[in-house]
Amino acid sequence: MKKILFAVVLLTMSFTAAHKFYLSVTNITYSEKDDALQITVRIFVDDLEDVLYERYGLEAYQSTGAETKPLDAYIERYLRKKLAIQLDGQTMTYSFLGKAYEEDVVLCYLELTDVGMEQLSTMEIRNELLTDLYDEQKNLVHVKWKGKKRSFIMIKSNAKGMLNL
Amino acid sequence: MRITKYCVVSVFFLSSGLFFAQEAGENAQEVSSKGHYNQSKFRQLYEEFSTPNTYRSASGAPGPDYYQQQADYDMDITLDDKNARIYGEGTITYFNNSPEDLEFLWVQLDQNVRAKDSKSPLRNGNGVNMAYMAGSFAQTFITEPFDGGFNIDWVKDSFGKPLSNTINQTMMRINLPTPLKSGENISFSIKWWYNIPDHTVNRARSGYEYFAKDGNRAYVIAQFFPRMAVYSDVEGWQNHQFWGSGEFALTFGNYKVNITVPADHFVEATGVLKNRKEVYSKEMMKRYAQAKKSYESPVIIVTQEEAEAKEAGFAENTKTWSFETAPGQMVRDFGFTSSRKFICDMQAVKVGNNDVMAVSVYPKEGNPLWEEYSTKAVVQTLHTYSKHTFDYPYHKAISVHAKNQGMEYPMICWNYGRPNEDGTYSDRTKYGMISVIIHEVGHNYFPMIVNSDERQWGWMDEGLDTFMQYLTEQAFGKTYPDAVAPNENYPSRRGAAAKIVPYMAGDQSAIAPIMSNPENVYQLGPNAYGKPATALNILRETVMGPELFDHAFKTYAQRWMFKHPTPEDFFRTMEDASAVDLDWYWRGWFYTTDYVDIGVKGVKKYYVSSQASKEMQEYMEARGVTEADLPPLVYLASEDSANYSEDLKGKAPSDISQNLKEFMMDNMTEEERAQVKEPKYFYEVTFDKPGGIPMPLIVEYTYADGSKENITYPPEIWRKNDDEVKRVLSSQKELVGIAIDPKLETADIDTSNNAWPKKEEQSDFDKFKEKVKGK
Repeated sequence: MKKILFAVVLLTMSFTAAHKFYLSVTNITYSEKDDALQITVRIFVDDLEDVLYERYGLEAYQSTGAETKPLDAYIERYLRKKLAIQLDGQTMTYSFLGKAYEEDVVLCYLELTDVGMEQLSTMEIRNELLTDLYDEQKNLVHVKWKGKKRSFIMIKSNAKGMLNL
Repeated sequence: MRITKYCVVSVFFLSSGLFFAQEAGENAQEVSSKGHYNQSKFRQLYEEFSTPNTYRSASGAPGPDYYQQQADYDMDITLDDKNARIYGEGTITYFNNSPEDLEFLWVQLDQNVRAKDSKSPLRNGNGVNMAYMAGSFAQTFITEPFDGGFNIDWVKDSFGKPLSNTINQTMMRINLPTPLKSGENISFSIKWWYNIPDHTVNRARSGYEYFAKDGNRAYVIAQFFPRMAVYSDVEGWQNHQFWGSGEFALTFGNYKVNITVPADHFVEATGVLKNRKEVYSKEMMKRYAQAKKSYESPVIIVTQEEAEAKEAGFAENTKTWSFETAPGQMVRDFGFTSSRKFICDMQAVKVGNNDVMAVSVYPKEGNPLWEEYSTKAVVQTLHTYSKHTFDYPYHKAISVHAKNQGMEYPMICWNYGRPNEDGTYSDRTKYGMISVIIHEVGHNYFPMIVNSDERQWGWMDEGLDTFMQYLTEQAFGKTYPDAVAPNENYPSRRGAAAKIVPYMAGDQSAIAPIMSNPENVYQLGPNAYGKPATALNILRETVMGPELFDHAFKTYAQRWMFKHPTPEDFFRTMEDASAVDLDWYWRGWFYTTDYVDIGVKGVKKYYVSSQASKEMQEYMEARGVTEADLPPLVYLASEDSANYSEDLKGKAPSDISQNLKEFMMDNMTEEERAQVKEPKYFYEVTFDKPGGIPMPLIVEYTYADGSKENITYPPEIWRKNDDEVKRVLSSQKELVGIAIDPKLETADIDTSNNAWPKKEEQSDFDKFKEKVKGK
């Protein structure tokens, strides 16, 4: 059923009434208390299912709706590929704390500790989530730090955002 | 002297507000002395609304000169299952009920959006990707695009002579030799064919799904014939091109459609099936007669075994199914479905005095989910929507299963929701399916009957329908508690106020007002569905209350049933039928991208004091009066002011203020004095509003003894100061807490400022972190 998932179709112009839109929302918030970047990533569950199947052949959920065992490990693997943060030009490694569900959305929690915000001057974010599956994918990224806010809309052909801290 | 004295006093009484205003005024003058237009968020929408006229009344109802056009269709359709093509020949009779003569007519050729030379794919900008999937690359740069546009064989007048026409993308202009006079009608015929697309590949609203295992197709066919554009008093010809996102604007009329398909196909369509006996088997007729009397549960018309038996064959002969709209039954469009794979069940539903048939059509791939829930969802939709609008006026409502689809036509709609191959399914699949069926069957009310212009205003049908979908889902949970267990309520995805917060709080550069054309918005889902549905839900539950809202909403539906309403007709009717001024609400929620954010800024405690405050003393000195010149006054002292002392705490005001005591002695009986409960605590609470939308100020006050008091100040509290407002609260009990919008009814995007004293709320992130670490 999922085998022919034509990711991109030139003629894909029509939306149906209960149509899909391709969107993820990532919030990156600097916590002064912990000197950490607290990151949440919201992805539609069915998009996640599709991409894990396409990339890794993983059926994310059993027919009962129960999760297939190594699901978290696959999500983490996928996130690390598609969502990267550089601080002052250096790619950082975040930890994957886990995930939660909100209706049809899966909410992933990531944390980057010991940021050393005071000494930093730039942050670069690359967000290519689901662009390997859908050309129309839009990824919103909201960054909040020390009372400042910046938002990016990242698309396949422009998946990077840079900000001066 | 007396006169002066009373002047001073009256000024004083008028005034803690006045003091504030004067100060603010002086400060403001330093910044700007420019005049301005009316910027009040409570000003009426005179500039946004068009002037009411005799076509459309100021009340929001159709005016005395309201008119609408009519288009009747008589068509013969042939489905070529072998080549996946559809052929049609039909006559359109167009009635010009407008007061004007028309020099030409516009006909919609929606399938041209899929023509080889369609401009639709060119309307979006794109950049070169870092990498392409091979298939995507081939489709984009190498293979010929699918040719799914209309092939028009001819257009002829009623004498069979060719009729001049001009095609501009998805619109065809019929060039009339002489204008069609007001009150007259014209007939013309068109012959056409096109290649049917695989809707599972390009997510089209219409097409076929191919089942590789048995080699059969299931067709869901719509916007498949040349359809008359709408001519109205508002748009003239609505000939805005079909680009893909903006759906349809269609004229009401009568339909007579013969559909010829392979003899082993089962067909359902808009309209009354006129030759049921010719196309149904004897067994099916018997079951159908049974279904007409079965009000409790569905009767299977075509069983899964029968459908599976047909899958193995491929009939070379054909059968023609004849559908016709019943006399007086207004229909704005026609859709049909056809396949040899179809199972069908039906259940009778009583809606008011009308007998309606709830019908489900699905291939075996939909089972066991479809036989279990589809017809149940249709029945619930008919009941709940009818209660809130009008009795469902058609004789049937059909839910057809098609993969990935969710699309609506009169009496018939296509819906997704497919179990795994082994027949198991997740909750997500189940609720997704029930919700989409409710939504699409619900579209019969908006826009099939309350026929708004979808091409221009996506929210008018999607928003109203999604709002009704929420009410229906909740009702479904009540009717079938077992179906939603272990949930107590149906898990609705949209509707509750808190659910729209992430969208409303999002990046303003990716948000458009609801009052935008669907082609020009960034996120059509929240824009045309989620936000208007939530706005209506908040309006119903929090701003107007269900009683006033429901009456007004029903009035709108009944006024515009089988007519073409505009947004203003809706906005005006909701006020007209309720006496609630809602211009501020439409402005904030529908015309802007503003959001709701209301908070409590500070609380100042006061006690009754026997002495005047420093400000009061200065005020008197400046005007040359003394306390003796003034009538008896009662003073309040804040904890940081000079006239405050510890011993004022907890005492009755009349024990402190001699003036008050004397006033009570002179003006109240002994009995009254004994009964009176004097407040001991006075609080000046400052509320602020960082968000742009004014909303009711919902406050929960908590007192030291644990008791709570809920006060809702009307939204008009913000009408003179959009940023900040103060309220004085007096109480016998000490105030220990204030919570704004404690039940999250208003879609407040930032709740960190909603409590006094400010709660150091653990962030969701920290809560989650603690939870996983605790594991």
